[in-house]
Amino acid sequence: MTDHVKDKELKLPKISAEDVNVFYGDFQAIKNISMDINSNTVTAFIGPSGCGKSTFLRLFNRMNDYVEGFRMEGKIKIDDNNIYKKKVHVEELRKKVGMVFQKPNPFPKSIYENVAYGLKIQGISNKKIIDERVETALKQADLWKEAKDNLNKSALALSGGQQQRLCIARTLAVEPSIILMDEPTSALDPISTTRIEELIFELKSNYTIVIVTHNMQQAGRISDNTGFFYLGELIEYKNTKDLFTNPKNTKTENYISGRFG
Amino acid sequence: MDGLAKNLITMTNLDIELKLLKEAIIEMTDLVTNQVVNANEAFLSMDTDLAYEIQHNEQKINALELSIDRDCEHILALFNPVASDLRFVLAVLKSNADLERIGDYTYAIAGYVIEHNKSINKELIEASQIIAMFDTAISMLRDIKIAFETEDVKLAKKVYRKDADLNMINKQAADIISKFLEKDGTLTTEALYLFSTIRKLERVGDHVKNMVEVLIFYVKAKVLKHKDIKDKKK
Amino acid sequence: MNNHQKNRIIDLTFKVYGFLFTAISVLILFILLYAIIKAGYSRINWDFLTGLPSRKPENAGIYTAIMGTFYIMVVTLIISIPVGVGAGIYLEEYAKKNGLTNFLEINISNLAGVPSIIYGLLGLGVFVRFFGFGGSILSGALTLSLLILPVIIVATREAIKAVPSSLRDASFAMGASKWQTIQYVVLPTSFGGILTGIILALSRAIGETAPLIVVGAMAYVPFAPKSLFDTFSVLPMQIFTWTTRPQTGFAVAASGAIIILLLITFIMNGIAVYFRNKWQKQLQ
Repeated sequence: MTDHVKDKELKLPKISAEDVNVFYGDFQAIKNISMDINSNTVTAFIGPSGCGKSTFLRLFNRMNDYVEGFRMEGKIKIDDNNIYKKKVHVEELRKKVGMVFQKPNPFPKSIYENVAYGLKIQGISNKKIIDERVETALKQADLWKEAKDNLNKSALALSGGQQQRLCIARTLAVEPSIILMDEPTSALDPISTTRIEELIFELKSNYTIVIVTHNMQQAGRISDNTGFFYLGELIEYKNTKDLFTNPKNTKTENYISGRFG
Repeated sequence: MDGLAKNLITMTNLDIELKLLKEAIIEMTDLVTNQVVNANEAFLSMDTDLAYEIQHNEQKINALELSIDRDCEHILALFNPVASDLRFVLAVLKSNADLERIGDYTYAIAGYVIEHNKSINKELIEASQIIAMFDTAISMLRDIKIAFETEDVKLAKKVYRKDADLNMINKQAADIISKFLEKDGTLTTEALYLFSTIRKLERVGDHVKNMVEVLIFYVKAKVLKHKDIKDKKK
Repeated sequence: MNNHQKNRIIDLTFKVYGFLFTAISVLILFILLYAIIKAGYSRINWDFLTGLPSRKPENAGIYTAIMGTFYIMVVTLIISIPVGVGAGIYLEEYAKKNGLTNFLEINISNLAGVPSIIYGLLGLGVFVRFFGFGGSILSGALTLSLLILPVIIVATREAIKAVPSSLRDASFAMGASKWQTIQYVVLPTSFGGILTGIILALSRAIGETAPLIVVGAMAYVPFAPKSLFDTFSVLPMQIFTWTTRPQTGFAVAASGAIIILLLITFIMNGIAVYFRNKWQKQLQ
C-alpha cells in the first residue's frame, strides 16, 4: 500500500479543536477534546450511540447553536480563525462548511431548485452562472447522468440513494472547503452506500471531509484518520491503519472488534 | 470479477489496494528470480563479486517482504475482504513467505561461492546435473510469475509437475557424488558444496510448489495440499 | 364460542354500525338538499341573480346581497390574511417558548370558540361607534376578520409545524438566515396548509349572520356597495329577512338564495380539499 506522502504536517491544520467542552444545561456532552484535522483528508468519528460524535461534528458549523441550553468552552479554529468569536457570522461560516445529514432531506422542489438553493440565498441571480454551478455540482456528486434530463422533476421522486447524492450536490454547489457528514449512508441500501463511499473518496482531493459513522468497516474503508469517541471523550485519534491494526486503548480495541457498543 | 459485477461496481479503494499488492508480490518474484539467476552464474563460474552482490540484494528482499506482510495486514484490518479477495490476500501472504525463503537459499549459495572461491571439477558438475536443476528452478519461478499474473491454472500445474525433476536429481545426487568421490577423494570439499547447493535448489522447488498450491486455491477455491499429483490431473 | 369467533363478530358489528350511521348522515344531508332544491329551484334564473331586492316577492333578486357578500369577503381577506398568517409565523417561528407565549396561545384558542354574536357586539362598539365607521362594509369586514383570525392563526401554525425540522436544518446548514429559511422553505412547503385554512375560514365567514346583523347589515339595500363606507347586505342576511316575511313567494325566494349560498360554500370547500390533497402529495 502506498503511504500517502505526509508533507501535510508542515501546513496548518484545516480544523483545530482546543480544550473543547460542551454542555447542554447541566449535562456535559463533550469532555476536554483537542484535535487537529488536516486539509484534503477524510476523518471518521466512530463510537457507540450518544457518545458525542454528532455533537462534536456540529461544532464545526455551529449547528448546535439552535439547541436549548447549549454552551461551549474552548476554541474551534477553521483556517486558524476561532469560529466561536462573537463577530463571526454563522451564515458566512456555513458557506465554507457544508453538511450532509443522515436522512436525505431534499426540499420539496425540483432537482434544479434544490441544487441552486445555496446560490439563491447568496443572492446570485445570473442564470448562466447558476446553470454552470448546478451542472458542476451534480457531476461531482455523480448524479448528472441520471438528472440532466429531469432537472425540473421533483426531488422527492428520486430514490433514497439519489436523494442523498442530491443533498451532496446541493452542498457542493456552494463550493465549501469542508464537508461534514453525519452518518450519510445509514439510511441507504448497500449499493447506494458503496456509491457514496466512492464519491467521498473522489471528493477528498478537493475538500476536507469529516464523517460520523456507526459503521466501523466504513471508517476502515474510506478514512485516512479515525477518532474513537466514548462518553464524550476522545479516547483515541490516529491514522486509520494504525487504529485498526494496533489500537493503544483497550476500549478502542473492544469497540472495533465488536465486543461492545 | 464477472462482467455483470464490473458494470455495477467501479474500482473501489479496496480494488486499488489489491492491485498494488499484486504488483508488489510480482516485484518480489522478480527480485527472487533474479537472485537465483545470479546464483546460477556465480556458482558455475565461482564469481565472488556476483556472490557479494547477491548477499547485498538480500536486504532489499527482506524489506519488501516486511512491506508486503504489513500491506496484507492493513487490507485485512481495514477492508474485511471476503471470498476471492480474501483468498487472494492469503495467497499473497503465503507466497511472500515462500519467496523470502527462496531468497535465503540464494544467500546461502552465494555464501558457498565466497567460502570456496575455487572452480569446481567440470565432470562432477555434469554428472550431478546441477545445471539442469538451476535451469528448471529458474523456469519454474518465471512460469509461476506468469501464472500468477494471468491467473493461469494450467501453467501453474505445469510448474507443479516440474518439481518432480528437481526431486529426482536431488535423490540421485547422493549416489552420483559418492561414486565420484570413490574415484577421486580430493574432490570432497567441492563435492560437499555442490551437494549443499543441490539440496538448496530442491527446497526452492518445494517452495515454488507451495506457491502453485496457493495460486490454485485462490483461483479455484480448491485445496491441493497433501494430495498426489495424479489426483490433480483430473 | 371461542375468542377468535367473538372478535370476528365484534369486527363485523362495528363495520355494520359504522356503515349505517354514515349512511344515515349522508341520507339526511341528501334529504335536506332535495327539499331545498325542490323548494327553490324554480326561482333561480338570471333575473333572480341580477335583480335588486323588492317588496314584491316575484321581483326580489339577490344581486345586492351577492355583491355585498363578495365585497365583504374581499375586504375581510385583505385584513385577516396578513394579520393571521403573520401572527401564525411569529408565534411558530420567532416567539420564545415562555409564559407570555403560552398565555397568547391559550387566548387565541379560546377566541376560536367565542360565540359570533359577541364579535358582533364588539364590532358595534369599537368599529361602528368608537371609530365611527358606521354600519359599513369596513365595519363588517373588520368584525368578520376578528372572527376568523383565530382560525387562520391556528391553521397557519399547524401548517408550519408540519414542515419537518430536517428541511429547516438543511436550509440553515447552507447558510440561510432565519427569514430566508421561512421565505424559501417553510412558507412554500406550508403554503397548501395555510391556503386550506384560509379558505375554510372564509367559507365559515360567508355564512355568518349574527355579527353582521349587530354591526348593521341592512335588511333592505337597493344598491350594490361602491365604497368601504357604504351600507351593505349579505346573502345570509337576505335569507333571514325573507324567511321572516309572511308571503310564500318570499319563502321560495329564500330557498333559492339558500341554494346559491350552499353552492358557493360547496365550491369553496371543494377548492380547499383540492389544495389540501395537492399539498399532502407534495410533501411525500
